[in-house]
Amino acid sequence: MSPPPAYTNMRHIEIHLYGKLRRYAPDTDPRADSVLRVAGDGKTIAQIVEEIGIGKRDLGANIFVNGEYSDLERMLHSGDRLALFPDDMQLLYKWYFAWRK
Amino acid sequence: MMQRILRVNMIDRTATFEEVPEKYKVRAGRWLTSSIVASEVPPTCHPLGPKNKLVISAGLTSGTSSPTSARVSIGGKSPLTGTIKESNAGTGFAHMLARLRIKSIIIEGQPQDTTKYWTIKIDKNGPSFLPADEYVGLKLSEAYERLFAEHGGLSHTSIMGIGVAGEYRLGAAGICFNDIKGRATRYSGRGGMGAVMGSKGLKFIILDDTDAPGVEIADKELFDRGRKKLADALLAHAITKPKGALNSYGTAVLVNIINEVGGLPTRNFRSGRFEGATKVSGEALFANNKERIGKEVYNHACSPGCIIQCSNTVYRKDGSEHMSCLEYESDWAFGPNCEIDDLDTIAELVNKCNEYGLDTIEVGGALAVAMDGGLAEFGDGKRALEIVDEIGKGTPLGRIIGSGAVTTGRAFGVSRVPAVKGQNMPAYEPRAIKGIGMTYAVGTMGADHTSGYTIATEVLGVAGKADPMNSNKAEMARNFQYATGFIDSSGHCLFIAFAILDIPSGFEGMIEECNGILGTSWTADDVGRIGKEVIDIERVFNRAAGFTKADDRLPEFMTYEPLPPHNAVWDIPDEELDSILG
Repeated sequence: MSPPPAYTNMRHIEIHLYGKLRRYAPDTDPRADSVLRVAGDGKTIAQIVEEIGIGKRDLGANIFVNGEYSDLERMLHSGDRLALFPDDMQLLYKWYFAWRK
Repeated sequence: MMQRILRVNMIDRTATFEEVPEKYKVRAGRWLTSSIVASEVPPTCHPLGPKNKLVISAGLTSGTSSPTSARVSIGGKSPLTGTIKESNAGTGFAHMLARLRIKSIIIEGQPQDTTKYWTIKIDKNGPSFLPADEYVGLKLSEAYERLFAEHGGLSHTSIMGIGVAGEYRLGAAGICFNDIKGRATRYSGRGGMGAVMGSKGLKFIILDDTDAPGVEIADKELFDRGRKKLADALLAHAITKPKGALNSYGTAVLVNIINEVGGLPTRNFRSGRFEGATKVSGEALFANNKERIGKEVYNHACSPGCIIQCSNTVYRKDGSEHMSCLEYESDWAFGPNCEIDDLDTIAELVNKCNEYGLDTIEVGGALAVAMDGGLAEFGDGKRALEIVDEIGKGTPLGRIIGSGAVTTGRAFGVSRVPAVKGQNMPAYEPRAIKGIGMTYAVGTMGADHTSGYTIATEVLGVAGKADPMNSNKAEMARNFQYATGFIDSSGHCLFIAFAILDIPSGFEGMIEECNGILGTSWTADDVGRIGKEVIDIERVFNRAAGFTKADDRLPEFMTYEPLPPHNAVWDIPDEELDSILG
């Protein structure tokens, strides 16, 4: 399923935030989508995460780009859907994550 | 007193204790139920006929102070799949059975009068038979309340039983155990084992472990060392620790994660993403509860001695308790799979299944297939509730749905039936997460996520290496099935896998506590060997029952219908599937 039309903005990266990371989105209700749209074509996930201001300690290792399990060094492109889950929902130790290439 | 096997003949309601054969002394749980079923049940018998047996065994560590060790296995030939079946539940029943030093209960024979039902009450003095006819047709919450009032409090009593679905002998009939508060809600859900129990004229087994001798431990020091290592691992791991993922959000934490992966089966497996996913997620449930009762509610244990404590409670808008527990797979079965995006409706659908004695995965799967066939609109929660009530009433429509997804697909002329060996797939899409598809295909019990939880490495990333879309995972699928075969025999909940696969001392601890109890000297190699033995025993049974490689396949529609958002089809070659277990 493609993202619903209202969410599609090809000039932006669409970031879906979960758990306590929802506070970085305009809408934080956990019963709806917490989506943040940023310009970030050509940047890595790590760069974007830093720009948003998410602390590394709060970020878990379940990071997905367009439904693909991804590491922090992956480069993003306009139109990508990035999903970030926090450390207390993380289902992977950070030290695994750090060593993922 | 040594451990014993209790053999029950339901024709004349006699029961005898037998010595445990030498080769069974170190076996328990799934290892034992599958061993007994394979050696005593004719593989070609009718699952609801007189030659099938219902075999019950608690795990190796059940009844001890080992953490998260209250799993009880139910074995037999499945009326849903026609294969061997082991379905386990987390319940104090496991601890009590082990403390009574009953290694296994074997229920056999079939009474002439198929309308009469019985209760077997077992305490330190042995078994007795009581008529159960007054409980026929009752909702299980009412039945269990009355049984606890009559037979004693929760601290020394536990109940195993069937609801009306088992009385009707339906393929989706599960076996219900009480949870830690006595609720009739913990299930050996899959494979229709409730129908097998019903076919024996058996309604309940009630245990009373007052003054029970307890579990014999060969080497107490080694056992204590092992259980402490395992407990430490569970307390340290992000998924299993207090206020970790499972304790905060329950297994329904997976809704949002699997949805992001594009592997959340939606609208009867037409899509891998559900627009209403966030509304039915573990996070949403947590937020609803906080709003409704004015404080954060962390989850509770299903059974005494569990560290993980993943069972949630759903509260109504007025703050009263609605039900417990809403597991991920149940939430998915009626939610995304039927496109119902209201948590309270989903909770009530699951509650009805608990009351009637039904497997939520199979019923939700059948309902979605029926919706696909035009019985109701997808997303129509009100109609869904009525249809599940039809199962409770035993109407012809209810019996079709309650017979599972394959029967329902035939009745409604639907080709999109997501089942393997007659059992509906659970909440993980094989086209998006190929490893789980391999497990579904070759598992010994039909499509079953618990027979090798490859999700753990693929999406949850516990071992940190795999990518859900990478399909070269025959070895991983094999090893997970073997590991599961062992854990299902250990008495531990499968969720310890997160901690023992990540934390080496936790894995060592599990082996040491088993050695401490049994006096064995197993190593890590034995875990693999025993797991393989369990799977091999089950595969021999299935082959003799008539299953071939042709049954180790996913449904055809998945090979030609691309699944959004990845637009992937099922493309694992047959040869690769055949190489998994050889």
